[in-house]
Amino acid sequence: MGVMSGIRVVELATWGFVPSAGVALADWGAQVIKVEHPGHGDPMRGLVPSSLKAAGPDAVSFMFQTFSRGKQSVGLDLKDPGARDALLRLVSTADVFLTNYLPGVRAKLGIDVDDLRAVNPDLVYVRGSGLGPAGEEADSGGFDLASYWSRGGLAHASTQPGDAWPPSLPGSAFGDLQAGLYAAGGVAAALLERERTGVARVVDVSLLGAAAWCTAPHIAASSLYDLDMMPMRQHPDASNPITNTYRTADDRFVALVMLESDRFWAPLMTLAGREDLATDPRFATAEARATHSTVCVAALDALFAERPLAAWTELLAQQQGVWAVVQSPREVSTDPQVVANGYVQDLQITPATSMKVVSTPTQFDGEQPAPTPAPELGADTEVLLLEAGLEWDDIIALKDRGAIT
Amino acid sequence: MLKPGTRYRSQVCTTEVIVVRPADITLHCGGHPVVELGADADPTLTLDPTAATGSLVGKRYTDGSGTLEVLVTKAGPGALGDGSALLVVKDAKPLPSSD
Repeated sequence: MGVMSGIRVVELATWGFVPSAGVALADWGAQVIKVEHPGHGDPMRGLVPSSLKAAGPDAVSFMFQTFSRGKQSVGLDLKDPGARDALLRLVSTADVFLTNYLPGVRAKLGIDVDDLRAVNPDLVYVRGSGLGPAGEEADSGGFDLASYWSRGGLAHASTQPGDAWPPSLPGSAFGDLQAGLYAAGGVAAALLERERTGVARVVDVSLLGAAAWCTAPHIAASSLYDLDMMPMRQHPDASNPITNTYRTADDRFVALVMLESDRFWAPLMTLAGREDLATDPRFATAEARATHSTVCVAALDALFAERPLAAWTELLAQQQGVWAVVQSPREVSTDPQVVANGYVQDLQITPATSMKVVSTPTQFDGEQPAPTPAPELGADTEVLLLEAGLEWDDIIALKDRGAIT
Repeated sequence: MLKPGTRYRSQVCTTEVIVVRPADITLHCGGHPVVELGADADPTLTLDPTAATGSLVGKRYTDGSGTLEVLVTKAGPGALGDGSALLVVKDAKPLPSSD
């Protein structure tokens, strides 16, 4: 039994952001019914990300699996009055409605807040947008590279001096996944209130708002110090040389985060066999290390380059300061802490194919629900529409005119 | 006679289907006729290895003429057939896009 067992969610959304909220709600135990275009479905089904094209008889659309696992699918062409009526029937039995459809489209299709509240006054209505529900650009669409990464300040904050251009998003749909979880959190709060007072809210989350949230320190500093952003010291002149990232002999990287550096400096240097650095007056205190930061970092660069990663992980494990290996995503998936906590699980898609998925990162009583695959397009149309009270003849009539799949 | 909107099950495996569009055939799974969901299976029957390529949940299957449409509501190792040939999957057409 998940925290949201018995909650029914209808999702009318495409791509990554709002669908990732649906994944979280499904992981938390809700029944998530994804309404899709009956012919081609969510365009995420056909996305070729980073030139990784799915091929072969058991081709896996890993982006679609990531963003719609655990859901059911109903194919409805909402421009058809019969199909729209079917949506309203589903919504009338639901607790939550998720959408990323733009205001103009929602109005045209007759599925905006007032339309759905007319059949279900208790419906929590969630609107995911690029730039927020207010302002002159509220009718504009957005993708995370534009609204979150670029307009939201993250690309600027991530650009290193000397870079020819800002870095790319760290991953496909990176911003979508952050904002999606914020939307899921909003759903949880809105359902809690509805339980207590009976009031159902409209929940709004935007990619731009999500980006501003994660740059809160920069924004605060910019308002106090007449700066564009907080100054980010670069590797060679880190003011605390043992809060910095170093390259090993085998071209791997280790990050040290030893904030109260006077506790950790001498023990670390002694452990590394460098009493000379432990007692060097230029490096003896935090203030001294800050004054001589360039020289200190250079000494540590040389030190770290003497041993391979395996030697450094063994050595660092013997001292108290916080450190970590800079890992690839593949390494993360087999990291013992990740495995022990069930953060990554295997998803069996067909008897012959499986892939790794990431559990929604909020656990309840230490449980991780087992993932189930994303649905085939319209897999649950017949079953859910029969349950919603349509007669079989109505269903066939809708099929015959292409209004449902 | 297959009744549309009716659910059937394999007698020799876990496969369950709903008939969306009927055709004048005897629906088989795993080499044997299906029965209505809720009806008893013949316990002496076994999965025919020549009809064991499996049925995938959520996929729609059709016969050679394209008349029949059957939706798999529960997966199983048995393959669906019309009594003379195995059924084939009806494919959806995703829109191509890339980043």
